[in-house]
Amino acid sequence: MKRFKPTLSHLSRRTFLQATAALGGASALGLRGAYAQEPEKPAEIIVRAWGGSWVDSLKAGVSDSFTKMTGIAVRHDLTEDNEIQPKVWAAVAQNRVPPIHINWDTTTNATKSALRGVTEDLSDLPNLANVTDLAKPAGLEGFPIVNTYGYVYVLAYRPEAFPDGPPKSWKDLLDPKFKGRLAFYNDGIGFHFPAQVAGGGKLEDIPGNMQPAWDFITKMKAQQPLLGEDPDFTTWFQNGEIDAACTISTNAREARKNGVKIEWVVPEEGAKFDTDGLWIPKGLPENELYWAKQYINHALTKEAQQVWLDGLGLPGVVPGLTPPKDLVGDPSYPTTEADFQRLIRISSKIQVENESEWFSKFKAIMQG
Amino acid sequence: MRAARTAYPLKWRIMDALEDVAAAIWPARFRRATPYLMLLPAVLLVGLLALGLIQIADTSLRTLDTTTFQFSDDYSITNFRRALTEPLFLVVAQRSLIAALIVTAVTLVFAFPYAYLMVRTRSPGLRKFLLIALFLPFFIGQVVRAYGWLIILGNQGMVNEALGLVGVAPMRLIYNYPAVLFGLVQYMLPFAVLMLAPALTAIPEELEAAAGSLGANWVRTFIHVVLPLARPGFIGAGVVVLTLSLTDFAVPAILGGGSQDFIANAIYDQFFRTSDQGLGATLALMLVALGSILVGLVFALFGAGTLAMGRSRA
Repeated sequence: MKRFKPTLSHLSRRTFLQATAALGGASALGLRGAYAQEPEKPAEIIVRAWGGSWVDSLKAGVSDSFTKMTGIAVRHDLTEDNEIQPKVWAAVAQNRVPPIHINWDTTTNATKSALRGVTEDLSDLPNLANVTDLAKPAGLEGFPIVNTYGYVYVLAYRPEAFPDGPPKSWKDLLDPKFKGRLAFYNDGIGFHFPAQVAGGGKLEDIPGNMQPAWDFITKMKAQQPLLGEDPDFTTWFQNGEIDAACTISTNAREARKNGVKIEWVVPEEGAKFDTDGLWIPKGLPENELYWAKQYINHALTKEAQQVWLDGLGLPGVVPGLTPPKDLVGDPSYPTTEADFQRLIRISSKIQVENESEWFSKFKAIMQG
Repeated sequence: MRAARTAYPLKWRIMDALEDVAAAIWPARFRRATPYLMLLPAVLLVGLLALGLIQIADTSLRTLDTTTFQFSDDYSITNFRRALTEPLFLVVAQRSLIAALIVTAVTLVFAFPYAYLMVRTRSPGLRKFLLIALFLPFFIGQVVRAYGWLIILGNQGMVNEALGLVGVAPMRLIYNYPAVLFGLVQYMLPFAVLMLAPALTAIPEELEAAAGSLGANWVRTFIHVVLPLARPGFIGAGVVVLTLSLTDFAVPAILGGGSQDFIANAIYDQFFRTSDQGLGATLALMLVALGSILVGLVFALFGAGTLAMGRSRA
């Protein structure tokens, strides 16, 4: 590992400025004893991200300010999270340098990587001292992942399609007038748990008995919903293809920003709450690992979280963040205990161990 | 000096030098093996495919442990049992197979008149137009074309807007099985025309003229002369369209609205959505087997058509 350690005899103006800037940056990042121990900076670090407003928000909140402080460029790799996973796993298995420095991932997907043992431990990040419990991945040792915010799979709808007022229940979507006008994720993610409640089942029965969920999803299948991914929902709302969808509130908010009349609710059965996080794959050179950790550490500062999550419209893991004006009191931006009681949160461990079966079951119903 | 150069030009000297180099690399005593050398690229290609298949076969026999997300060290047929018993995979396989057969039949029906007109027309302008129209789609990727159909056939697309002008309410023209079939036929048409055209070119026009002079109308000429002689083209085109349709991914994904998956989409899900590469590899092997059986069946029943390069039974 090379270390940046200028001596007085070689101290030029440029070196002095670089060291000062690095010290300033290191202080802002909360590094311990950074001066004279800072490893060599890579030309860039690569962060896998989701596209559209997701990456724009990350860039504005975290990447640009990180580059400004450290001088390290940040490249965003927009490979799908599901597609980067096998590449990273293969690289680690073959002792190759992984294709990315940081993976911005769903906590469920990231937990799979942690269980497989391909994630670096992040317990030593100084800013973890200032985060809420939401940042800690449940059921895992240490911090192989750091959760950075939460999100809600809301029921988003076009107000014109609901002239009698907002939908109160997921069951409202079974109205025949919505046939062909609904959308869900193509693996059913976000909908399994509310469907369990809407189908008359109990959340405590997950994963042992999810028949109520499958029965309700079977009823929903008769409505011939569209099945897609994040970008599809925004497009479908914009193109007037759908009236309602179970989607992450960020996608609905993005459609609204683009001029589409759209609202969202957390129905009486509840809505799934989940988290996304950042993690670092094993196999990076030590200096790159160091700077990748500093990137995540920076993402946990209040300033970075405020800008990043204002863009996404999601609640972060640092206390004292201010909700965006349009989301104050919004159910998709839970801040109080009462807000969280309306949401459904199932442990990552249960989700990871059963997700494959749930996806297959949902697909079997929808493809049948 | 000038005379000598004329007698033995520079390019001859270059050719001599090249021959010397070739003789050093591949001496004359190896000449009998030269035809086999020509096979080397094919052997390399097939060898790489075979190695890949062996790797996939190995993966298909390992099961995923969802507590560690590692694959088992020992072999089992669990994935094959799942693939053959879970309703999802049976539905998807059935849908893919039926679609491949329908798309092949419809594409050949549309491709034949196009290819026939392109080959037989006396107008060079029309032939050029048909050729350009044939090759233009190759410059536009499959995904872009599928998205093009979303724009044209969507709820706010051109077709629905046109229908709206005559008072017809917007209707769902995409995100269903017929839309997937339509997209596939449109994608496959150029391939089929390209495979049919050489077979039609090989039919002497005099045969059709002779049939006419013996009293056959154009229908009888078409049925008894053109169609039988075009059979190698139909077989070649049919095999290509059948296999490409059976294994397609993008068109069902984009035009199917998520509910019209083909086998390739199910394979993708296993590899990238549930991280179960073992089951994904199993489905991939079964798709290869299904495609191979279908092609083998066609070859056994009808010969290899234009794919036999003139050695067909036809």
